[in-house]
Amino acid sequence: MLDLLGNHTVQTVIMGAVLLGLVSGLLGSFAVLRQQSLLGDTLAHAALPGVCIGFLIAGTRHLGWIMAGALGTAVIAALFVQVITRYSRIKMDAGLGAALSVSFAVGVVLLTYIQGHSSASQGGLDSFLFGQAAATRPSDLWFMGGVTLAAISLVALLWKQLKLVTFDPLFAGSIGLSVGVLETVLTAMIALAVVVGLQMVGVVLMTAMVIAPPVAARQWVSRLEHMVFLAMLLGVISGVVGVLLSAGVSHLATGPVVVLVASVLVALSLLLAPGRGVLWSWLKLWREQRAIGQRQMLVTLHKLAEHHEDPYYPVERSMLDSFYGVATGHILRRLQARGFVVPASHMREEGPHWALTDAGHNEARQELERMDWNQAEA
Amino acid sequence: MKREKRHEPELALHIEDLTVAYEGKPVLWDIDVNIPPGVMAAVIGPNGAGKSTLIKTALGLVKPTAGHICIHGYPPRQALKRVAYVPQRSSVDWDFPTTVVDVVMMGRYGHLGWFRWPGKREHRRAMDALSAVGMEAFAKRQINQLSGGQQQRVFLARAMVQDADVLFLDEPMAGVDATTEKAVVALLQELRDQGKTIIVVHHDLQTVRDYFDWLVILNVRVVAQGRIPEVYTGENLRKAYGGRIALLDPDSAGETPDAVPREVVN
Repeated sequence: MLDLLGNHTVQTVIMGAVLLGLVSGLLGSFAVLRQQSLLGDTLAHAALPGVCIGFLIAGTRHLGWIMAGALGTAVIAALFVQVITRYSRIKMDAGLGAALSVSFAVGVVLLTYIQGHSSASQGGLDSFLFGQAAATRPSDLWFMGGVTLAAISLVALLWKQLKLVTFDPLFAGSIGLSVGVLETVLTAMIALAVVVGLQMVGVVLMTAMVIAPPVAARQWVSRLEHMVFLAMLLGVISGVVGVLLSAGVSHLATGPVVVLVASVLVALSLLLAPGRGVLWSWLKLWREQRAIGQRQMLVTLHKLAEHHEDPYYPVERSMLDSFYGVATGHILRRLQARGFVVPASHMREEGPHWALTDAGHNEARQELERMDWNQAEA
Repeated sequence: MKREKRHEPELALHIEDLTVAYEGKPVLWDIDVNIPPGVMAAVIGPNGAGKSTLIKTALGLVKPTAGHICIHGYPPRQALKRVAYVPQRSSVDWDFPTTVVDVVMMGRYGHLGWFRWPGKREHRRAMDALSAVGMEAFAKRQINQLSGGQQQRVFLARAMVQDADVLFLDEPMAGVDATTEKAVVALLQELRDQGKTIIVVHHDLQTVRDYFDWLVILNVRVVAQGRIPEVYTGENLRKAYGGRIALLDPDSAGETPDAVPREVVN
């Protein structure tokens, strides 16, 4: 592992992954919260024709031209979606889908044209489909770093506005914010982030980098600033772990491994996160069921004692078992631990008995009051 | 033309010859509405009558096709700090990661300018508003833990910290519990008594007379407007709702009937 970290290529790729994680986690948070997760996908696919056009203009695999072309067509696609949803009856999802497939088709046609006609150095363009992290050069890091820095400063500067436009665009408009401008700025930044990720992750999988870290982060935290911060952190973790895994095992493509690591983080978050995770809700359901059993038992014992006009009337457990139709020993033991019931001896030849304590009677009376109150509400 | 001069400054809301169209179809057609300051006005009308559009146009969210709007004499874009807005509760995602007090502080963003962040003063204002709507205990809660009625109270608190002269509310009583409805109405009436103008898109004809003192009946055009006793008549309601209305008081000869809107199939 230490050998890997000493390797210059790996260092460059790791730095690239860190920057990509930061920028996609940051901007992805807003895309996901605005329910525009597919925007990243569309922008990424729309970048492919731009990659080809950049190549055709430069006549070689010149990264500057390719990136400029990618950004150009991505932005055109984004504007196309914005215009089409505003001025026609086509909804956002349909618009995004249309832009995605049309531009990807154009991209693939251009790609095959180049492969058939361009003589020299045509190889390598298809690496933009699935990314080729190892091709990252130190000079690329400057571009990636610049984009990341711009995105972070922009979000920091316009935090209040972006938050409001994301949460409540109507209200944002009513206090005079230019909602359209802010949305365009966000979209343009996401397009930049996508272009940054093209070389590493590729157009097909780039959307996962935009969606996965924010979705995972949202499970754990419940404030926007925490979510954005955690999404950036998870983006960096997926990037670095993915790069190390793919560098450690030979012949593994970096981009897909990075995406898989991010997906594992999402799966774990969906399962484990307190409050929102699946396991958590199961635990809560189970606890509630247990509490209901205990409350029922208290009320039953209370009523039995009232009926026998003896507050410490000992009830035989087998009677309770047959009344509820299930074994009640565990419920009684939990109530005993809470100090609401005590074991009571009655006659030697009978089974174990239980009686309510004073605290138990109190609890049962409160429970009955709650029930009355609930009925009155209904 | 002198743009600085206020037009109809003595009216809280002045709308003249306004037409708004979506995709070439008029939603509001050539309407005039005048609402004096210090009233609590209901805007009622059947589905698709343009009620929400009227509010959105008055706030400058929708561009009018023709005509003009003035709020206390100023066009909407110059009256931003004079108006507060409570959008429909369902227009936002309540799973957004933020807290109750944070949402209320958003009501101060318009006053803060572009780059100032909300601070202690904004927080205090938000807490005051939250206690006015009976929600101070929920200040630090996640907004996804709120019931419909509580969401509405939070939105009302946000509008209150805007320090506006005119409040626009879009269906604030839709889907809230009876306790919240009463609390919201009491708060709005209190604000009206302080001299503010309250303009509410309302859907429940039965409560119009109890809650409001001014009425605008809308159905793409203005059917009637003015003080409740003159405007809330069977004839006007029938004009707006057509066959989709059942008047419960046939004896009162359409003077001030209890009316229930009834959606009729076909």
